[in-house]
Amino acid sequence: MSKPALSESLHWAWILLLSCLVGGGHALADKVKLDPGNWGHEAGKDCVSCHSKASAGLASEWRESGHQAAGVNCMDCHQAERADVDAIEHEGQIIATIVSPKDCSRCHEKEYAEQQGSVHAEAFAMIEERLPALADNVGGPGIRAASCDQCHGSRVKVKGDGTLDAATWPNSGIGRINPDGSKGSCSSCHGRHRFSKAQAREPEACVRCHSGPDSPDKEIFEASKHGMLYAAQRDEMNLQAPEWVAGRDYTAAPTCVTCHMGAAGKLPSSHDVGMRNSWSLNSPVSQRQFLVVFEDGGKLELPASEPVPKRGSELTRPDGTLGKVKSVATPERRRQAMSMVCLECHGKTFTQGFMEQFDGVVELFNGKFGEPARAIMAGLYEQGLLTPTPFDDPIEFTYWELWHDEGARARHGASMMSPNHAWWEGMYLVGRNFYARFLPEARAVAGARAAELVEAHLTDREQHQWLNRPDQSSTILGFGVGEGR
Amino acid sequence: MSGFGAPLFITRHVLIALVVGGLGGVLLMAFLIEFDHFTSRNEFCTSCHSMTYAEDSYRETVHYDSASGVRATCGDCHVSEGLLAATWDHAVGIKDLIKQFLGPDYDDPVINTLHLPEAAFAARAWFRQRDSATCSRCHTQEAILGKRADTAAIHREETEGKTCIDCHYNLVHRKVPDERAFKREAWNRMVEEEFGLEPGMAARLMMGPKQAIGSLPVLSEQSP
Repeated sequence: MSKPALSESLHWAWILLLSCLVGGGHALADKVKLDPGNWGHEAGKDCVSCHSKASAGLASEWRESGHQAAGVNCMDCHQAERADVDAIEHEGQIIATIVSPKDCSRCHEKEYAEQQGSVHAEAFAMIEERLPALADNVGGPGIRAASCDQCHGSRVKVKGDGTLDAATWPNSGIGRINPDGSKGSCSSCHGRHRFSKAQAREPEACVRCHSGPDSPDKEIFEASKHGMLYAAQRDEMNLQAPEWVAGRDYTAAPTCVTCHMGAAGKLPSSHDVGMRNSWSLNSPVSQRQFLVVFEDGGKLELPASEPVPKRGSELTRPDGTLGKVKSVATPERRRQAMSMVCLECHGKTFTQGFMEQFDGVVELFNGKFGEPARAIMAGLYEQGLLTPTPFDDPIEFTYWELWHDEGARARHGASMMSPNHAWWEGMYLVGRNFYARFLPEARAVAGARAAELVEAHLTDREQHQWLNRPDQSSTILGFGVGEGR
Repeated sequence: MSGFGAPLFITRHVLIALVVGGLGGVLLMAFLIEFDHFTSRNEFCTSCHSMTYAEDSYRETVHYDSASGVRATCGDCHVSEGLLAATWDHAVGIKDLIKQFLGPDYDDPVINTLHLPEAAFAARAWFRQRDSATCSRCHTQEAILGKRADTAAIHREETEGKTCIDCHYNLVHRKVPDERAFKREAWNRMVEEEFGLEPGMAARLMMGPKQAIGSLPVLSEQSP
């Protein structure tokens, strides 16, 4: 075996090891291997009998489910202990309305282990502290429950009278903090009560949240070659297959699941949706990031600019608790995992070339817009020219949209191949915002100190030097070279 | 002696006793009937301030306000049918009166809410023991049609071994969980939040007024 070949196979071995550490298996949902004696609760037939009449949709959807086929009934999932925070009495049974990921893990252990600690599970916890500045100050009462929380999840509150606080429930946000302490909501993607594999594999499973100005992934996918193929060849997607390995069980097109979670070739599937992401894309400046896996199963995204955490060392998590490092996946390894999916349909140079194009856009955003804009804002805050309260000055909206909306669109557009989103809906708007809104507003806020607080962050960057060349005429605006001068 | 041909043992005294006894009996019956009517009226029940909290929630429900004008009074639901049973219920009800005078200050909305769950559990047990008899004063199970498609079928087919109260609790008064899932700690926290009390105050108030002296007058000014 030649040396490069050896290192390459070590490479794959590493990725497979990583996938196994983070949790992985061939079928997306592992076949439950428990003895069927673990389910089939006696009282379940009474639930079904009554709910075939009361809110009959519940029972009829369940009747179409794999759960029903396997003999799993209402009580198997909804049963609760009297001591459970959200336990209620219902028709003589002690149940809980919310079936949390922890409840699902009674059978779906592997998926729970993968999902806990993932960016999906942490979707509420990671924004809880910053949420009030936007949701409460700019928005107001009522908007959280109907909007933010429906994607990010809510911290579900059980009231003293046993009811679930309507400010926090109903909610199927993917980072919901459940009364039992577990994070997430399986039904966010797996629609109740059919829990169909095929449904969760569809791009539409993600659309409820991954659409709109700040994460138009639905629109990007639809506008990409992947989306084009999916639309045309949907009936060849083999969505009902018990296992769903890209390249083996289907090749017609990828969906969101294919690249971000699905099994592909030797790469196992995972319910940790962010595992294959080497960049943080929804941030003021993108960072390549480590995925740290802790001994207790928790995970942490850590900027790659930090020193590599050592196995066995302790790190502080966003919630303040310490975690003991079990393993670390570098951004390169995560990129390799993602590339394994690509390689099921694309050649190696093609894949690498694409990744280079994508990285180029992220680095362009970072260097030309993200970093100087952040530095300018930091200066304005430091000098007391902006109050610490976010969004009480127009420039804070401008800055927010620069990276959170337009900048995220550009980066997502490039990551999933929508030329329109990469440029017109993305980087073009970033540029327009930066030059025509952000900089003028920053200069106005800085006043006499604009040279030091604003211009200084531009002059040292070659990308902005074209501003100093006012005589470069072009016909792009409809005026001929030299015309009108 | 007996010019009317009456039996010999009907002496004058016996006759007087019979008339007086008979009249007395009739009067007693009349009194009990009137007493039941009087003490089953909403006005009687809510003459204690502590009962006005139960009235507040009742007034929000269809048992008070129905399109047809049918209105259930306190006694319609909470006092049994039949003179003897009704009298017994009223007699037992005297303990509530004693508690009103000698027990915790139920007139205080905080104290009232804190003690509400036990009252609810007792009332539910009372309904259950009587097979929800007072419900059937107005409701006939076979005749329930409901507004949703299968309400009639549910009442026909899904009610074996059940009595009205098993499903239909938290219908008229403030919501209290079933006793099997009730958590005193959570209830206390809810009351503290609702009335702006410091944490732990509810538990102290439950122990009696001595533990919470000084706080009650302030609390009493707050509306529920």
